[in-house]
Amino acid sequence: MKKFVKDLSHYLSLFGILLAGFAGFILFSYDKNFQMSVALATAGAYVAWGIVHHAIHNDLYLETIIEYVAIAILGSVIIFSLIIRS
Amino acid sequence: MKFINLLTHLFVPHVSNNQKAKILHPSSLSLIVVFLIAFQIVLSFTHGTFPRVLGYAASIPPSEVIRLTNAQRVANGLPALSENSTLDSAALAKGNDMLAKGYWAHFAPDGTSPWSFFTSLGYKYRYAGENLARDFSDPTSVVSAWMNSPSHRENILNPNYGEIGVGVIEGILSGADTTIIVQFFGLPLSGAPSVPIAKANEVSTVVAVSSPLPTPGVAASSFISPFQTTKGLSLGVTGLLLLVLSVDLIVVRRRRIARIGGRTLAHLAYLGMILAVILILKAGQII
Repeated sequence: MKKFVKDLSHYLSLFGILLAGFAGFILFSYDKNFQMSVALATAGAYVAWGIVHHAIHNDLYLETIIEYVAIAILGSVIIFSLIIRS
Repeated sequence: MKFINLLTHLFVPHVSNNQKAKILHPSSLSLIVVFLIAFQIVLSFTHGTFPRVLGYAASIPPSEVIRLTNAQRVANGLPALSENSTLDSAALAKGNDMLAKGYWAHFAPDGTSPWSFFTSLGYKYRYAGENLARDFSDPTSVVSAWMNSPSHRENILNPNYGEIGVGVIEGILSGADTTIIVQFFGLPLSGAPSVPIAKANEVSTVVAVSSPLPTPGVAASSFISPFQTTKGLSLGVTGLLLLVLSVDLIVVRRRRIARIGGRTLAHLAYLGMILAVILILKAGQII
């Protein structure tokens, strides 16, 4: 909890990114191509956030980046498959 | 005992998995990604080979689409459109044409325009418009999707129209069972003020899929919707990962485990957003 409060500004920016991505999905529900772009942009921003956050904490390692990329790819694949099927 | 050890290894931070649930390791996440892609390939294959198994069927009464469309117009201070049986027939003819020629567009591959269906049935228009939709489960979802799209909304709320016709047809399109909804708007030439003839209105299309609801008339339950199948799998995978991440967060805090890796809270937030998107995604493809 202490760590979360200490990094509050970091997490607030992450929540802002994710909230913007979610809002994009709702606002552009009629445009599938735009929704796909939003999914990609959100995933990219999430990975970028992870890199910056860990770089600031001096604990940025290749394994960490791979972990963020893997989760971002997983999220994107899920959203893409749903958009394609809808 | 072996089974419990396996579960612990897969889902709980432990010495055996380097203090991180195995399912959260990048190698496992990559395997899940490969599985999801393979599942989509199999789904596409099944969709193409057995259209009667994976498809979509719904009963959408045209009168209800017209009623909901008029409700939107009245709510926006516009007069309701009157149903025209010629436009109904023209809309049905357009739907049949799409199924017969296997296209999903305003203009047929042979160049047939939407307006030719108006004129071929003797409907001479001053203004005309078309909205298309497919694979909706109920009339409310159809009209809502149209209203959420600026161009379709413009068609519905166009003050130049005086009449409406809706055709709903079910058939096989691109190898899958589909329900197509064609909405035609028009203002007959005879009913128009004596001003020069105008061009037909811009046309627009909405394609959407939403959750199948039990509807009278057509046995929607006899089909497995590819969208619903994908949605179910996506919910399962995301839900499982969120659960494992929550356990990870608690265990790591309690045991004060120090390890190299991403922030569990960040992963939880991202996958939480993915879950929210999965839950809201149900309709809408515009061409």
